[in-house]
Formats: sequence, C-alpha cells, structure tokens
Amino acid sequence: MKICFYPGCSFATSAGYKESTEAVCRKLDIELNQIPDWNCCGATVMFGENKLRATALAARQFALVQTMGFEELVTGCNACYATLRKAARLLTGDQELFQKTQEVLQNLGLELDRIPRIRHLLEVLMEAIPDSASDKYKTLSVGAYYGCQLTRPYQDLDKGDYPEILERFLSRIGFSVKEHSAGTQCCGASHAVIYKNECRGLSTRIIREIASKGAQVITTVCPLCQFNLDQAQTRDNEPRLPVTYFTQLAGLALGLAPADLGLNKLLVSAEKVLTRP
Amino acid sequence: MSQHDKLNPFSTIPHLERINQCIQCGTCSGSCPLSDLMDHAPREMFALIREGAYDEVLHSNTPWFCVSCYACMVRCPREIPVTDLMYAFKEVITKQGTAPRNHKMPDMYKAFSRNIKDTGKITESLVMVRYGMKHPVDALKNIPLAVKMQIRGRLELKAQKVADPKSFARLFELTEIPKDKP
Repeated sequence: MKICFYPGCSFATSAGYKESTEAVCRKLDIELNQIPDWNCCGATVMFGENKLRATALAARQFALVQTMGFEELVTGCNACYATLRKAARLLTGDQELFQKTQEVLQNLGLELDRIPRIRHLLEVLMEAIPDSASDKYKTLSVGAYYGCQLTRPYQDLDKGDYPEILERFLSRIGFSVKEHSAGTQCCGASHAVIYKNECRGLSTRIIREIASKGAQVITTVCPLCQFNLDQAQTRDNEPRLPVTYFTQLAGLALGLAPADLGLNKLLVSAEKVLTRP
Repeated sequence: MSQHDKLNPFSTIPHLERINQCIQCGTCSGSCPLSDLMDHAPREMFALIREGAYDEVLHSNTPWFCVSCYACMVRCPREIPVTDLMYAFKEVITKQGTAPRNHKMPDMYKAFSRNIKDTGKITESLVMVRYGMKHPVDALKNIPLAVKMQIRGRLELKAQKVADPKSFARLFELTEIPKDKP
C-alpha cells in the first residue's frame, strides 16, 4: 500500500511518533510518501486570525497532494486532521472561498482542482494491521486516550464522546484494554503550554482516571496530547503512567525492538512496564 | 438582533443568525474544559450579542480561552457551531484590535503565526522564544522542561523550513486584511 503522508510540524520532534510510524509502516509494507515541501496547517491558530489565510495554508497541501497524483492525505496529528478537514469542508461548500483560495495558490505557482480525502493514521493502520499480531502483551493493560480533534467535531470516524476505534485497535494487536471515562476529555492543548497552572487539573484528571481503572500505560494518537499528558506527570504523589503512541505499541506487537520505536524519548519511562516478563 | 445590525461588528460572520436558535441551556458552558476561566461562558456570549452588548463581547477573554475541543459543538441540542463561532469572534476581534491586553493567548497566536509566515513550518522552540520576548517569566519557567526534552533528543532549535520561505510568505501577503481604523 502507498500512502501520501502529511507529518505536521510536531511529528519529527515528538516522543518517537516518527520512529515508530516509519518502523511499523516498513514492517507492514506501507510506503510512506511524505508530501515534499509541506507547510504548517495553521492548527487552532489561523482560523481565529484570517479565514482565507487559514484555508489557503491548508489548501497548499491539497495542491501538493494533487501534484503527487494521490486522492488521499494521511496525517498522524489530531490538530492537523481536524484543521485540514475543516478547510476541505469549507472549500467544498463555498465556491467563492474556493476561487479565492485557488487564486492565492496560483500566485504561488500551484493548481488546485480537487480536494483530497483526509484520513488519520489510526484509520489506515486499523485496516492494515493483522489480527493478534502477538500474545506477548496480553497482560499489559492500556488506557486509550483520543484527545479532542480525532472524533470531534465531525463524529464520522467514530462517536464524538466515548469512541471505540482505538480500543479495537489495541485489542486487535494483543493488548489488554482498560475501559475508562477520560478518552475524549481535553488535555488543555496549546493552552496547557502557557496557562500551565490553570490547565494542570485537566491532564491530572485524565491520568488519575486512567490509572484508577488499572491501566499501566496510556496510548495516544496526537503529538500535543502525548506531550501534555507526559510532561504533566512531574509530581511524586501522583500515579505515573508512560504515555505512548499507538504506533509504538503496534511496533512492539509486531515484534520490533523498543529502541527502533523511539520509546526512550518518553519523559515517563516505559521501560519497566514494557520489559517485565 | 436585527435592530442592532448596523452596529453589530459580528454581522459579517457567516450564519451568525444561528445564535438566535440558542435556548440558553448552558450545555456548551457545562461541556467547556476552561469555562471557569472565561469572563462569559459560551452561552452568555450568544446572549450578549443578541442583546447588542457588542463591546462586552469584543473585549471578552472567552474566545481566547477556547481550546477548540469541540465538546460544546457536538453536544449543542440546537446544533449551533459554537467552536466555529469562537474562531469567527477571534477573527473579528483581531481585526478590531480589541483582544484583552492581559491575556497571553493573543501573543502566543501572534508568535505562532509569525513563525509560519517566516518559515512555513512551526519550530516549537522558536515560537516559545518569540512569545518569551513578551512574557519572559513564562518562557523562563519552561527551561527545565526544555532541558528534559533536549536530553531525550526532542528539542529542535534549528528552524524547520519550506524550500522557499520568501515565495511562501506571499501566501500571507495575498491574504492580508487591512485593520479597521479605531
């Protein structure tokens, strides 16, 4: 399988998302074609600044996807996923905005005729990964954390609140899944970076809930969620759970070595939990 | 709302009339992770606009505390696109230059946007440096975390860039909106 991949700005410096995605895709024979010369999607910032600019930023990717001859774009970041989808919907429903966006892109030497389908890496790997890749991890309990912008606002990949796709993925690759109620509660996103004290309660609530249901590991599908939950666990009297990417767990299930999955990059070490017999 | 239309700085927002369907149930406010920090919870923003209290909305910190989690939007019984409206409010407020001065998010967004304009891509450390020029205490507080990230090879200090940043910046020039005169 060949996919057209949009990494987004946080992919390369995230805690092993890049390493594990590349390793898992190699193993599954998925060819990752990164969009050459991709740019930032504008995330949660640009639509609050300037709608046309926000749409054009996102659509520059769509034009590049078209040049590459792909019909679909795949990303592993929730914010990129929701932002690109938002731009795609606006462009599809608003002829005037579409024309203005085309004009901006033409000025940059790019043509845009069609909007690609935008998919999250989780959807793609869900289809590609074999059932019960391994039973080595069947006693390891994992809490799935979705964050906000995978299932909301569109609710078509799964339900907006209490989705199940990540739990199904984890069961399929042979992990024990712990049910909990914090899967789509907000971690504070970019506000957590500068309104640290005000947002601390958000991540604490998520981690406590997942720990209280007996999970030993949290798994995420978004770089900012991973970062917020990982860096929030600095106080000694709180439970400490490694916050992994779903691709890292997929890699382990496929028999790949932790060192090849960037697991050493987590702030809360996963070593003890993952190497116990 | 109609009697105030001429004065309504938000009247350019597409589908603003949807707020007339708000039944003031407060589901949005109750779903909001940061409504405790807002001067007006989302529900009140709609009531204020309907009352013509535009100044209150223009200076409100509410849109700047919106984390874009979309919980309000998927739960609204009247299917009002609450989060999208928060974005649209920010766009109007930015244009009018009335963002609350003591709020840190407008400066963060400016630093973020400027980083995209300069290089086409975000390099988190560079956004923090630019933001830190306005909020040095905040930036300094993040140094211990930056060190931890550095140890694990996760701190990128070199700018990620598109191939031709100069030509990319045209995207910003072509989409510039002139600021309204106060």
